[in-house]
Amino acid sequence: MNTNPLHREAVPETPNRLGVEGIEFIEYTTSHPQALGQVLENMGFRPVARHRSREVTLYRQGGMNLVVNANPEDARMSGAADGEPVISAVAFRVHDALKAHTRCIELGAWTVPSHAQAMELHIPAIHGPGSTRFYFVDRWKEFSIYDIDFKPIPTVDQHPKSIADMSYFGVVQYIGVGRSADWLAYFENIFDFTFISDDQRFGILPKGKLMKSPCGQFLWQLIEPEPWMDGDESPESLQRIGLGVADVGAAVKVLKAQGVEFVESSQLHPEDRGALTRGMLGSVSFELVHQTKSSA
Amino acid sequence: MNLLDGFGMDTITMAGSLDAKLSAMKQAGFSQVMLMARDLVGHPGGVPEAVKVIQASGLRPTGFQVLRDFEGLSGHLHSYKVDIAKSMLEMCAATGSKVLLACSSSSRHATDDLDHIARDLKKLAMLALPLGIKVAYEGLSWGRTVNEFTTSWDVVCRADCPNLGIGLDSFHIFAANTSLDAIEDLDPEKIFLVQLSDFMWNETPTFEERMTTARTFRVFPGEGVHSEDLADLVMRLDRIGYRGDYSFEVFNDDYQQLPLNTVAERAKKSATWLHNDVLHRSAPLPSWTRPHKA
Repeated sequence: MNTNPLHREAVPETPNRLGVEGIEFIEYTTSHPQALGQVLENMGFRPVARHRSREVTLYRQGGMNLVVNANPEDARMSGAADGEPVISAVAFRVHDALKAHTRCIELGAWTVPSHAQAMELHIPAIHGPGSTRFYFVDRWKEFSIYDIDFKPIPTVDQHPKSIADMSYFGVVQYIGVGRSADWLAYFENIFDFTFISDDQRFGILPKGKLMKSPCGQFLWQLIEPEPWMDGDESPESLQRIGLGVADVGAAVKVLKAQGVEFVESSQLHPEDRGALTRGMLGSVSFELVHQTKSSA
Repeated sequence: MNLLDGFGMDTITMAGSLDAKLSAMKQAGFSQVMLMARDLVGHPGGVPEAVKVIQASGLRPTGFQVLRDFEGLSGHLHSYKVDIAKSMLEMCAATGSKVLLACSSSSRHATDDLDHIARDLKKLAMLALPLGIKVAYEGLSWGRTVNEFTTSWDVVCRADCPNLGIGLDSFHIFAANTSLDAIEDLDPEKIFLVQLSDFMWNETPTFEERMTTARTFRVFPGEGVHSEDLADLVMRLDRIGYRGDYSFEVFNDDYQQLPLNTVAERAKKSATWLHNDVLHRSAPLPSWTRPHKA
């Protein structure tokens, strides 16, 4: 006898055909790695390892890995003015990286050729918006990709705690005029993201369209230019990282003490729901979002 | 509003270099141009120089043509066509064109399964999406499976992707003798391109006749024997709310032997006919709609 009440109306389960299981790392590319490093350290990230063959540094706090890529060629290709830092990649944890990558290519994603050197990991990737990339990583349980491609910085704690227990909450993507429907379709089709209705919002910057990853571990926000920004032809990009935190006030207090400035205006200022750091080095900013353990 | 706004010429109509074609179009008063991949690759300075010429002309690209025989293939044929599509999309993006024209397949190696065709077109749309390009899928009147706009619309609906729509071409509609009543079923937001042309005879029953006529003896709207139908088509599109571009896709061996300015002037005459006599765009409001003077 069929006892599952959902079967009667064929309510679909949320598919996760790529086997996405969270964000493994987010990558910034810049030709000013030291300046960005300072910003990251103020935000609570600590440099823990360096890449074996390239000018790439791994930062970490709590469960968040953040990679700073200062490889001259990549910094040139990232499209940022004067080598200012830009978010150049997001690596998704997946069940099987090769399968995930193959599925994306079959669905119409553009593959990115690998530049792995001898004995380095080939991390499959596809092109994202603008000049960004999406990586697929499946080695994050029993051992990590950093064990192979990176050398730990001596004497440094490899697992620094995060400020106020912050974790990756999501990514904000800036898109072109009238492009919301396109990108919603893209993430839904390629990654099985699901649309979150407009009346459900988190944090203090509720604009645009919101999606949830199929694993439920992070959100993705799409923001078009305002109608009055007529002719805003700036390239599409990954604009900022959202950090989830249970106690926004506590996090803001610690971060302020470390020299982080927050946007404080009558419309936008730190409050219980969230806070936005003032843009540094061009457009590097972080958004704190109030998150109870079940809200993302 | 410029009388020619909303209308453009295809480079395929004229002979000569890309530079000369763009210059003739501009001189006639057009503000947009439908580009052909061959214009870029055949440019003496290669693709980058051709792109510069297009940008310098100030003409807005209506779209970029043409990807052929993409859908319905499998195995290595499919992979090969994906590579071709990617190259076309890169060129399309380089020119600043927002629309890639993809014509329905005439290949006998392609399947006639509409769901398979829709799946492939969705893939093409996904390939185009990060580049900000829309795909206009057009039914060629000699397409093997999709040869009427009613079927291309069906496939586009099945694929259900925001940057995949249809391209309409009056030639193929008249050649296939498709009823214009079906225009009412289209969503105007999903018509990404309308190409207009006419020809000089009434019947093109076979695929061979359609192909020969299409490739050598099309004429500008208003010059052929389907002027009334063409006016009807444009009026119907206007009525359902289509406000996108009209481009003149006129393959004609004679026009290839005429001075470029002469051909551009014929195009201008055609646009003027559509603007004034068909769409009545510049007609002033009747006097009874104007408020009385105090």
